[in-house]
Amino acid sequence: MSADASDLSLVRRVQRGDKGAFDALVLKYQHKLVKLVMRYVRNPAEAEDIAQEAFIKAYRALPQFRGDSAFYTWLYRIAINTAKNAVVSRDRSPVEYDLDRNNNDESYDMQGRMKDSETPEGLVLTDEIRSTVNAAIDALPEDLRTAIVLRELEGLSYEEIAAAMECPVGTVRSRIFRAREAIDRRLREVFEGGLGRAEELG
Amino acid sequence: MNEELDSQLSAMFDDELPPAECELLARRLSRDEPLKARWGRYAIVGAVIRAERGVRLNAPLAGRVNAVLRAEPALAGHTAPRDLRHNRLRWWQPLAGAALAASVAAVSILWLRAQAPGEAPLTAHLAPPAVSAAPAAGTAQGDSYVVPWPKQPAGVTVPSTELANYVVAHSMFAPPVARRNLLSAFMTSEPATSGTEEPQADVQGIAQ
Repeated sequence: MSADASDLSLVRRVQRGDKGAFDALVLKYQHKLVKLVMRYVRNPAEAEDIAQEAFIKAYRALPQFRGDSAFYTWLYRIAINTAKNAVVSRDRSPVEYDLDRNNNDESYDMQGRMKDSETPEGLVLTDEIRSTVNAAIDALPEDLRTAIVLRELEGLSYEEIAAAMECPVGTVRSRIFRAREAIDRRLREVFEGGLGRAEELG
Repeated sequence: MNEELDSQLSAMFDDELPPAECELLARRLSRDEPLKARWGRYAIVGAVIRAERGVRLNAPLAGRVNAVLRAEPALAGHTAPRDLRHNRLRWWQPLAGAALAASVAAVSILWLRAQAPGEAPLTAHLAPPAVSAAPAAGTAQGDSYVVPWPKQPAGVTVPSTELANYVVAHSMFAPPVARRNLLSAFMTSEPATSGTEEPQADVQGIAQ
């Protein structure tokens, strides 16, 4: 199995003019990228703005991407550079920065959290998503839960999970798929409940 | 929804789908909105399992990026002209390379000839012996002695006497059989230039 074949197939489609394939890449990496940028900026809303800028820069630079490195490695570098530049330019705007800094940490965090979710519904939805997924994981049979956690938390390949669980690779693939399906069934109810669906995909 | 398709989607999300299947599924994923939404939810599940605190799970980031890019032309529109221009530039590049290599070679040869110590230009080698012998005729025995070239076809530039001398001088480094063969080849191929006497006689004859 060639690593990064999935991303590369999407990247090639974008390079041939298929913008829809880029949506899939954004959906896959948006959380990782925001988490990465939050090492440089504390405010989640600002981190999202920087991540958005990084995605747009990546899209515009995609004609130059030849696939010598993994797509995420390349995107990661763009995001880091964008975040560093954002921090530098923010530090060059002392008035706004000092006003933020004059607030104590508690009010700063509250401001960030409010900007983060913007609406109370947003806060509730994030918490609801989290609790729904966690509850669905807890309800999974042991073998499914182990497979999905080894994959998502430890980042193991199917082959490594197969070795750890002493089962064929095909079984691992099936277990991870069934775990995702079980969680997704619960998650879909949350999104189709009206709060998140439209907002998430814009 | 097709279970096999969903299973492929899950494997593709983990980079565990064969490339050929990835190509097909990527095509469908880019157009099928419900499939794309499911793909997005797989990413959310991963973010929750990794406990990515502070990250908004319902963030409208994908929608915002999509809205910005919607106003931009598709990438294929950018890449095609670049490729055309690139192809247009490409045809003369080998010619330019060859011309550059030839120029460098010519300059190197000229420079080496100019720098070679005690070596006369090629025209001097090919000049008639009378020119070199003229001062010797005036003084009966010239102050400097220049070994005249035997009369040879214009195409030959290295006299076999020199080669023979060279072979004799370095004979200790050659195996006996090769040395003997080479010397006998010289002796038989050019009997008129077997020694240094003949050119001298030639010079004297012309001088008189």
